[in-house]
Amino acid sequence: MDPMDLLHIGPRTFSSRLILGTGKFSSSKVMLEAVRASKAELVTVALRRFNREQLEDDLFGPLSELEGLTLMPNTSGASTAAEAVKAAHISRELSGSPFIKVEIHPNPHHLLPDPIETFEASRILASEGFLVMPYIAADPVLAKRLEEVGCASVMPLGAQIGSGQGLTTAGMLDIIIRESTVPVIVDAGLRAPSEAARAMEMGCSAVLVNSAIAAAADPAEMAAAFRDATAAGRSALRAGLMTAGNEAVPTSPLTSFLGESR
Amino acid sequence: MKGIPAWLSDESGTAEMRRMLEGAQPFDIETLAARARSITLRRFGRTMSLYAPLYLSNHCPSGCAYCGFASDRTTPRRRLEEDEIGREIAAMKELGIQDILLLTGERTPQAGFDYLRRAVVIAARKMARVSVETFPMTVEEYRELAECGCTGVTIYQETYDPERYLELHRWGPKKDFLHRLETPERALEGGIKTVGIGALLGLSEPVEEALRLYRHARHLSKKFWRAGISVSFPRMRPEQGGWKPPFTVGDHQLARMILAFRIGLPDMDLALSTRERASFRDGMAGLAVTRMSTASRTTVGGYEEGGTGERGQFDISDERSAEAFCQALRERGIEPVFKNWDGAYNGPATLAPSAEGPKETAACP
Repeated sequence: MDPMDLLHIGPRTFSSRLILGTGKFSSSKVMLEAVRASKAELVTVALRRFNREQLEDDLFGPLSELEGLTLMPNTSGASTAAEAVKAAHISRELSGSPFIKVEIHPNPHHLLPDPIETFEASRILASEGFLVMPYIAADPVLAKRLEEVGCASVMPLGAQIGSGQGLTTAGMLDIIIRESTVPVIVDAGLRAPSEAARAMEMGCSAVLVNSAIAAAADPAEMAAAFRDATAAGRSALRAGLMTAGNEAVPTSPLTSFLGESR
Repeated sequence: MKGIPAWLSDESGTAEMRRMLEGAQPFDIETLAARARSITLRRFGRTMSLYAPLYLSNHCPSGCAYCGFASDRTTPRRRLEEDEIGREIAAMKELGIQDILLLTGERTPQAGFDYLRRAVVIAARKMARVSVETFPMTVEEYRELAECGCTGVTIYQETYDPERYLELHRWGPKKDFLHRLETPERALEGGIKTVGIGALLGLSEPVEEALRLYRHARHLSKKFWRAGISVSFPRMRPEQGGWKPPFTVGDHQLARMILAFRIGLPDMDLALSTRERASFRDGMAGLAVTRMSTASRTTVGGYEEGGTGERGQFDISDERSAEAFCQALRERGIEPVFKNWDGAYNGPATLAPSAEGPKETAACP
C-alpha cells in the first residue's frame, strides 16, 4: 500500500478509505471497539443520537474522545431541506466538524433519500462553507448536479440501507465514478467485505459501512475485515486489473482478407 | 355499516399473512422467530427506542366497556395543572426519558384541545420527541399541535369489527366507528409525522383483528408515503370494574402476531408496552419489537415522588425501573436508546415541501 495514496475530501486528507456508521450497535463500547479495529479516520454520527443529558446512549461524547478521528454528523431524521439545514447548523455548533452528511429521507420506512430536498439542502450548506457529503440514490445526473453546487463528495447507495444486498446499483455507480470530479463514496447496502473490495476495484474513493459491522456476531472482527478488504480493493485498482473475458480465439484468422501489407 | 372502506376487507396480498397468523405450515413459531429476528437485526440493528407515557387527565365522557376511566367508573377524576405537568416532565427527564406520550380521555371541558395544546408546548420545551394519545381531532387541530412540536399521534381503533365496536362503546363521542378509523388520516393531513395504530387484543376474534390492523397499516403507508407508521399490540389487561374480554390472546398467539407483522411489514416500528410482563418483553426485544415504553405509570401523573398509589387505566405488568429494564436489555446485547430524534425535526410535515422552497417552520404561539 502506498502511504502517499490519500483520500482527499475538500481540503482534508485521510489514509483510510473506510468510513463507519455508528448506529445500530449493541452498546457504545462495542461501537468504539469496531471503530478502533476498522482504523477508520472518518465516522458519521446522527444528530438524533447526540444526547448530552443521558450519557449512556450518547454516541457523540465517546466518539469525540477517540484520537485521530474526524466526526461527520448526519441529518438522518430530516424529511425536508429546511430540517436538514437546521440540523446541520446545530450539528456544527455541537461538534465543530466542517463535515455534514446530508441524509434526507421523507419515508421513514425504506429510508431512501429524497433527491429534490437533498439537492436543495446541499446547495445551501455548500454555499455556507460546509463540506457537504450528500447521501443519494445512484443517479449519475443528480451526482453531477450536486458536484456543480459545491458538494465535497457524493455518496450513492449500493442498495437499500440495511438491506445487505450489496452493489445492486453497480451499473449506475460505474457511470458516476467515470464522470465525477469529487470522491464517490458508496454508502449503504454492503453486507460482505468482498463487496467493499469490489466497490474499491470499480474505482470508488471510499465506502461507508454500518449495518454489516453492527449486525455481525463479532463487530470488531468484521470491522477489521472491512478495513483489509477496502485496502485490498484500492490496491487492486491501483495495480491495474487485467480485463476479464471469455472470447474464444478462432482457429481461422478473422482478418486474413486484409492481406499481408499494412 | 355504511361507509366502511373497501381496504378494511381487501383480501389481496394477505394470504401469507393469514397463514402466518394461523400458524399454518410451514409457519411454525420458531420459523417465524428466526425470520423476524434476522429482519429486525438488519433493518434496526441492536437497539431499542424507549418512550414513556404521561397521563394528563382521566376525565372522560365515554362509555368504553373495557376501560378503567369510563364515565360510569367511580375512579376519582383529576387533571394535571400546568405546573404539575412541568414537574412530572422534570421527574421523567431524571429517569432519562426524552420521548414522551401524552394521554387523556375523550374530549371534555376539563381536558379539551386548548389544555392539550398547552401540555404539548410544555413537553416540547424539554423532550426531544412529543406524541399524544388522546381524543380524535380535526385536521386544523392536528396542524396546530404539529406546529407546537408534536410529531406523533397514537390512536387505537380498539376493535376493527364495526359491530363489536358499537357494542363496546356504549355511549359518548367515541361511538362513531368511522370517525375514529379516519383519525390517523386527519392527523397526517394536519402535518403529524408518525401515527401509531393498534387494536385492543381480546375484543374480537384475534386473527381477523390482526389482518384488519395489517390492512390499516398497509393502507396508510400507501396513501401517505411520507408517514411513519408504528403498530402496537396492546393486550387486554385487568382494569377497574372487572370486565372480562370475550377472547383470550395467549402468549404464543401474541408472539406469533408480532413476528408475522415484522415479516409482513419489515421496516415499520413495532411497539410493546409495560402491559406485558418482563420476560415476554425481554424475549420479544431481540426478535421483532423496536419500540418499548419504560417506567410507565397509568395513573394521572405519578412520576414525581414515585407514584400516587391510586389505580390507573389498567394495571401494568412490567414494573421494573427504567434502570433495571435497560440493564436487562443490555444483558441481551440490545442498546436502550432514549434519544432517537431531535428537536430540529419537529416542524409539521408538509405535503409538497419544496414547492415554495425551504422555509423555517412557524413558531408556536
